[in-house]
Amino acid sequence: MNFWEYLGNRRQQLLADALQHAGAVFQCMVVATAVGVLIGVLTYRSAWAGNLATTVTSTILTVPSLAMIGLLIPVVGLGVAPTVTALTLYGLLPIVRNAIVGLRGVDPTLVDAAKGIGMSRLHRLVRIELPLAWPPILTGIRVSTQMLMGIAAIAAYASGPGLGNEIFRGIASLGSKNALNQVLAGTLGIILLALLFDAVYVLIGRLTIPRGIRV
Amino acid sequence: MTPMPGAEPREPEDPAFDGTLREEDTAGQEAPASPVAARQPRRVTWQKVTVLPAVLAAVLVATWLWFEQADLDPLSENALSNGQVGKALRQHIELTVISTFFVLIIAIPLGILLTRGAFRKGAPVVMALANTGQATPAIGLLALLVIWMGIGEKAALTGIVIYAVLPVLSNTIAGLRANDPTLLEAARGIGMSPLGVLVKVELPLAVPLILAGVRTALVLNVGTATLATFGGGGGLGVLITTGITNQRMPVLMLGSILTVVLALLVDWLASLAELVLSPRGLEVRS
Repeated sequence: MNFWEYLGNRRQQLLADALQHAGAVFQCMVVATAVGVLIGVLTYRSAWAGNLATTVTSTILTVPSLAMIGLLIPVVGLGVAPTVTALTLYGLLPIVRNAIVGLRGVDPTLVDAAKGIGMSRLHRLVRIELPLAWPPILTGIRVSTQMLMGIAAIAAYASGPGLGNEIFRGIASLGSKNALNQVLAGTLGIILLALLFDAVYVLIGRLTIPRGIRV
Repeated sequence: MTPMPGAEPREPEDPAFDGTLREEDTAGQEAPASPVAARQPRRVTWQKVTVLPAVLAAVLVATWLWFEQADLDPLSENALSNGQVGKALRQHIELTVISTFFVLIIAIPLGILLTRGAFRKGAPVVMALANTGQATPAIGLLALLVIWMGIGEKAALTGIVIYAVLPVLSNTIAGLRANDPTLLEAARGIGMSPLGVLVKVELPLAVPLILAGVRTALVLNVGTATLATFGGGGGLGVLITTGITNQRMPVLMLGSILTVVLALLVDWLASLAELVLSPRGLEVRS
């Protein structure tokens, strides 16, 4: 059976896998974004804490994903738990770093002006600094998402959800007629999802980046 | 996302900014984002030389001690006996070194070529390709190569190389383009030939970037090499997958710990090399 027939036959399975894949990445990204921006906000004012946050998250990123999942399995078991934990951890770095760089890059005179007109610290953060740091943070989110798409595929080996299962099914049945179809469907599906997410982020950027700071 | 080490953290909107290049992340420690860090010259400090190896050594000793007293069942014994651990480690290092070598001899000359006159038009295409390539899952790429080339080390190596070439290439292009045009202008002005400009000005200026590329490739390849096991290429991934499929936690842990230690060690060595080999004159660039 050729690739298109295969896609037609396995439509339901593939769609379910794709939805799970996208869902896992999306949910982990939401958590990673919330935690990452929070870490950024808490650490950017001190050189020491900011550098520590960047160092720790970048060390996590240096760890190969299969090894990370391997280390998580004895702690949280197989299945969804190690997938979600690993994805969230890996998603942190680009967001934390970009949040810190972005927040530090905010023109101090603007913050000073905000202080001058009597804005509180929280107000300054929410109304001035975070909106100005938002474009780099959004870039971080995009970078993270692309990366998580691939890592989620590997997580399927630890019984995680998503299109990675399709790839591993293909690897397990190497030599059979369907192996190529399975691997191809999984790989192309993930690329498609990644491009789709990226397009959505571009759209979000259009909608949420204040007009005044658009390039 | 590959600022030269020690350089100002690059604008995240930078076209070369992407998620898989990790080399500057630890270099970011000294990124002069703060006035305090900016005043310190970039150099090899004793903390940098000792802390990480000490931690890694402690982890290895702890693992060894644990294995000394651990009660391994026959299945785990089987997976770990007869020097199989050493063999996996050796294979892993081999895969990493060989693939990094190929990545560099492909990506750096190609990057230089794509910033020269007539070929410059190709650069945007390569950049776009690199960005899309980022979305390709490494495991999918590897599986396709295994189906195409058959099981074995060759398919695994090819996959590792392809996966790392694009990020290093787009980095090289971005770095060569980031060279101060006035310097190139000046070099041309004093009558240097195009080759002279390249060899005497552009390349020396790009040394930090090339070293960063080496580090990126190394770290990326240590990671991708864990997947070689799915294509019959061996490496430490063998221990991890054996541990997962047989539900043997000691095997799984040993494989994972060794992989993590190797990855961090490689990253550390590369970061030291960056500091030691970067031209002194470029230190205040930031």
